[in-house]
Parts: sequence; structure tokens; C-alpha cells
Amino acid sequence: MTPTILIDVCAAGIVVLSVLLAVTRSIGRSIWLVAAQAALGAVAAIGVGISLGLGHLVLAGVLAFGAKVVVYPLILRAMLRASSVSVERHPYVGPRLSLVAAIAIVFAASAGTADLDLPASLGGSRALPAAIAAMLTGLFLMMSRRKVLSLLIGLLVFENGLSLAAFALTYGMPLVVELGILFDLLIVVIVGWVYARRMLRVFGTLSTDDLRSLRG
Amino acid sequence: MTGVALGALLVPLFAGAVVWFIPERLSGPVAFAALAVGGAGALVLAVPVLAGEPLRAVDGLVALDALGAFVLVITVLVAAIAAAGSPAYLDHERALRPRDRGRYWALLLWFIGGLLTVPLFDNLGLVWVAIEATTIVSALLVGFARTPAAIEAAWKYLILGSVGIGFALLGTLLAYASSIELLGETSDALDWTRLMAVAPGLDPGLVRLAFIFALVGYGTKTGLAPFHTWLPDAHSQAPSPVSALLSGATLTLSLYALARFHLVATGTLGPGFSSTSLVVFGVLSLAVALPFIVAQGDLKRLLAYSSIEHMGLGAMALGFGGPIALGGLVLHLLAHGLTKASLFIAGGGLVERGRSRRIARLSGSLTQDPVDGRAFLGGALLLSGLPPSALFVSEIAILFGGFSAGWSVPAAIAAVLLALAVAGFLFHAGRVSFGVPRIRSTDRPAPLRAIVLGAPLAAVVVLGVWTPQPLAVAIERVVAVLGGSGV
Repeated sequence: MTPTILIDVCAAGIVVLSVLLAVTRSIGRSIWLVAAQAALGAVAAIGVGISLGLGHLVLAGVLAFGAKVVVYPLILRAMLRASSVSVERHPYVGPRLSLVAAIAIVFAASAGTADLDLPASLGGSRALPAAIAAMLTGLFLMMSRRKVLSLLIGLLVFENGLSLAAFALTYGMPLVVELGILFDLLIVVIVGWVYARRMLRVFGTLSTDDLRSLRG
Repeated sequence: MTGVALGALLVPLFAGAVVWFIPERLSGPVAFAALAVGGAGALVLAVPVLAGEPLRAVDGLVALDALGAFVLVITVLVAAIAAAGSPAYLDHERALRPRDRGRYWALLLWFIGGLLTVPLFDNLGLVWVAIEATTIVSALLVGFARTPAAIEAAWKYLILGSVGIGFALLGTLLAYASSIELLGETSDALDWTRLMAVAPGLDPGLVRLAFIFALVGYGTKTGLAPFHTWLPDAHSQAPSPVSALLSGATLTLSLYALARFHLVATGTLGPGFSSTSLVVFGVLSLAVALPFIVAQGDLKRLLAYSSIEHMGLGAMALGFGGPIALGGLVLHLLAHGLTKASLFIAGGGLVERGRSRRIARLSGSLTQDPVDGRAFLGGALLLSGLPPSALFVSEIAILFGGFSAGWSVPAAIAAVLLALAVAGFLFHAGRVSFGVPRIRSTDRPAPLRAIVLGAPLAAVVVLGVWTPQPLAVAIERVVAVLGGSGV
């Protein structure tokens, strides 16, 4: 498999998983879907890194795999166990409309990036529209859901799209930047965890309905 | 010498880990010592650069030009005010738990230490990493009081800040993608100086997209409307010294990052596109902040919306370009940082004494609380840009620069919006200062606090009537960088 095909296959998988995430209401299942999405991104990075002999890309892929496929799901599962909410029961946008929105996002992303003149060194990969679609789906999830965990999952979908974009545009950033980004992301999830615990203690639930007092 | 100064600048970051674990009564003194070392290191690095010797060190990883050095100095000054205001906050905060004092100092050290590193990097990717890291640490500080409102504000800040800065990362990636054909896939293809050197040859489509995403991303962090919604919550719920840092230093540094992208975009696309975007979002920020300033009932939210207004004006100045508006911008960032930091500390003192953030419950503070009350009124007058405030000079320069650079309509709109905002702001400041005394009175002498609050305000007055020669030269050098010539 050439690097381009590998990227395209993984990018397609990431888009399919984004659409699935948009229609899933079970938070437990969403955690696995978003981890699978991250795994595809990491596999693409490792595969391309090996075939092109880019050591920094392999290292970044392995670290991303460890953080996003192992550590994040563990943290999210722990949060899920601690809270009583396991289903996104009354999202602002229901599953059917979410499906329509997710598909519209995919089309909009491919239309919006169609006339971009990408660097020739990347072999014409079609991953950029997929990456932007995943980012926008993540944003959509964050806007349409009420539960704190769903919001964090939306943020991770956004991040998965972002790392695919990084990879599609440049075959990875310089290693020092990649490491910094991964480190930052890890702390975001940990701080999110800290605040989720505080919310449980103070509000008794993990629903953002309680977060509406600040106005004006 | 450079190596020692760089090491000193990193001391607060390492000291944070120490302060977390040492006994509480030692945490304050150790933190102050670490901050003094860090601040001294930063000044040792920055001052020669402002005098005309740009710095490159550690294989080009660290590069400081006049622009970076100037925002580094602003960061040091604001951090000094925030640190000096912290013991009073810790003594009066009622929601503290055991060990919270040490944790506060540790987080503050990490926050300030992170802020100090932002201007050091030439690599736009590392600038992003540093800004994101400070966002996360400050999210922990915003929710420090653990009240429901503080948790809500911190949550919004964490989530919106992460998404916003995610867009900034996409902008950074696109800038990298635009350059690798020219510069190759090397780690310095993201270096701002290299990007500027080859800017005319970069791919215009990618650079335009990169700037748009950087504008959304760093614009969110700068509090530009319509991406500002997290700001009033975070800046009002945070402990007052943290509010001072958020308004005086992080907004400035985010605008700084945006300016770097603006300069690359201008180099590639010519002056039209990014300038117009900055002016549009600047005017929008002024317009959005105005009603919330006029109808505001909460003292700290009033200050937060005022920050949105001032950053909007800053973005406009950046878009106007030209030596007059840019000179105004540089002075504006310095004077706004000093004034707003003092105001947040003084306002925090009043809020503590009135046991309320409501403006209506804080009236008569001028007589009830001589130090904080006077500092608040004086700061409010200076922030409103009444002469002899340096903000008077800077705002006039920005607006005049706008008119003379052909941006008459936005400059005129901004002048009207600013005047209305000043009226609203001073009305509320008057309600706090005068009227029936509602806050607890204090006549405890507080000479140290008077100096902490008074010195920055006095400096803003002095800068309003007289610019010392070294500062004038420094501003000229910063303007040269912002004008795209003095790399």
C-alpha cells in the first residue's frame, strides 16, 4: 500500500466514524468510536512514517496512539462510571437531524477545500476535506449536546480532525511542535477530568444545563 | 549571559513544582523569589533587544525581536502587579481549603512562567504550544474558588479556549504547508523570520486560509467579537490577580501572536486582506462591548468588557498600520496592561470588602476604602483615556493614524463607540466611588498596597505627558517590526 492510499483509507474511516458519532447517543459507545478514530489517525501516521522513513512521524504516531487510544478512553470511562449519565438523552439536536447535519458537513468540507492548491510533495492526498469534516463534526457535537462528557468527546473528535489535517498538509509538524501539542492535549483532558469531578461534587450531575448562570 | 538569563526566565516554571509540595507558609516567599528571578531574567533578555540588538540563541529556537521584547516587558510588569496583589487575595478569599494557598502559588508560577516563554519563540508552532499551555493552567486558576459560577466560567474557558486555539493550530499548520515547498520539511519552516523572508513567494491561497484560522483562533484568545463570549465569565470569576494577568498579559500576548500572522499574510497577499479583517473584527468588538459596558451591573464584568473594547481597538490599530497608529498601539498595550491590572486588583479589594460584585452594593468606596477606592477611581479615569493618561495619547494616535491611512469610516465609528463606552464606564465608576457608603469602611493604613496600585497608575500618567528617550526609541523599533521592515 502506498502512503497516499493508506492516508486516504484512514481518512475515509475517520469520516465514517464522525458520522457514526453524530448519530450515537450512548456515551460509552462514543468513547470507543472516538478512540477508534484516533487509532486510525495514529496508524496512518505510523504507516506513512515507516514507508517514507520519517522517524519523527513514527514517534509522533506511537505517542498519539498511547495518549488518545489508551489514556483518554481510560479517563473518560472513569468519568462515565463516576457519573450517573450514560446516555445523551435530550440533545439539542436529535439523531436524525444530526445525521443530516453530519452528511451536510462532509459535503461542505469537500466543496470548501476543492479549489485549494496543496503542495505537490504530498502526492495529492484527499485527507484535508476529511480532516475538516471531522473538525466541524466535533464542533457540531459540542454545540448540539448537553452532557459534559459528550462535550469532551466532541472536543476529541475536533482534535482527531486537527491531527489528520496536520498530517495531510505536512506529513507532521516538526517533532518538537508535535510533542508540545500532544502534551497540551493530554493536560486539557486531565483538566477537563478535574473540572468534571468538581461539577459532580458541586452540582451533583454532569449535565451542562446547570452551567447557565453567567449572563450579560 | 544570555544562557543565564534564559535559565533565570525558566525558574518560575520549575519553582511551581517545588511550591506545590513545600509547607504552605513557605510557598509565598519562595514564589516571590522565583518570580523575581524570572522577571529579572526576562528584563535582561529584553532590554538590550529594545536598545537595538536582536537576540538569537539555542540554535535559533529562541529569537527575540523588538516586538517580542516589548510584550515580554509588558508581561513582566503585569505579572509583578498580579503577584503583589496575590497575598491580599489569599488572606481574604473565604472559599479556600487547606493546601489551597500552596496550590495557588504553584499554578500562578506556572501561568506566569508560561506567559514569559510565549514571546521567546520564533517558531509559530511553539508559540502555539506556549499559549495553549498557559490557557490550560489559567483554566485551573479561573475555577480556583470552586463556586458553581467559577466552575461554570472555567469550564467554558477550557472548552471554548481549546476549540479556539485548535483553529489557531490549523492556521499554523496551513502556514507550515504554505512554506514547505520553499523551505523544505525542516523544523525552521515554521520560524517566523524565515516565513517573513520568503513571504512574497508563499502560496497565497494557503496563506489566506492560514490567516483566517489564526484570526478565529487567536482572536478567540484576544477576546475579539464574536468569539469573546468566554471572556467576561472567565475574567470576572477568576481570582482578581489572575484577572489582572488574563486582561493585561494573555490578551496582549494573543494579539501579539495574531500580529505575527498578520505580518506574514501582508507579506504574501499585500496589505488589503488581513488589515481589513482586523479592522472589521476590531469595530465589531467595540460595538459588541458597548451595550454590555453601559448596562453592566457587575464590577468585574465591567472591567472584562472594557478589555474586549480595548483589544478591539488594538486589532483596529494593527489593521490600520502606518507608524502613527502602530506607535499608538504599542503604547496602548503597555498602558492598558498597567491600568487594567491595577484596576482588577483594586476592584477585587472593593469586591472583597463589599462582599458583592454588584456595582450598586459597592457605592461610596472612595471614602470607605482610601487606598483601593482611590486607586479604582484614578484607574477608571486613566482607562477612560482622559488626559493626562497615556491611553489618551495612544487612542488619539490610533484614531488619527486610521484617518490619515485612509480608514476614515471605521476610525470615525470607533471614535463614537469609544466616547459612548467612556461615558458608560465613568458612570459606573462614579457609582462605585461616590454615593451612600455601602461597603465596610477601613482605615487600616496600607502603604505597600498603595505603592503596588499607585505606581503603575502614576507611570501611566507620566507616559501621558512625557516619553523617556529610551522608551521612544524602543517604540520606534517595535513599530519597525510591526511595519514589516525591522525583522
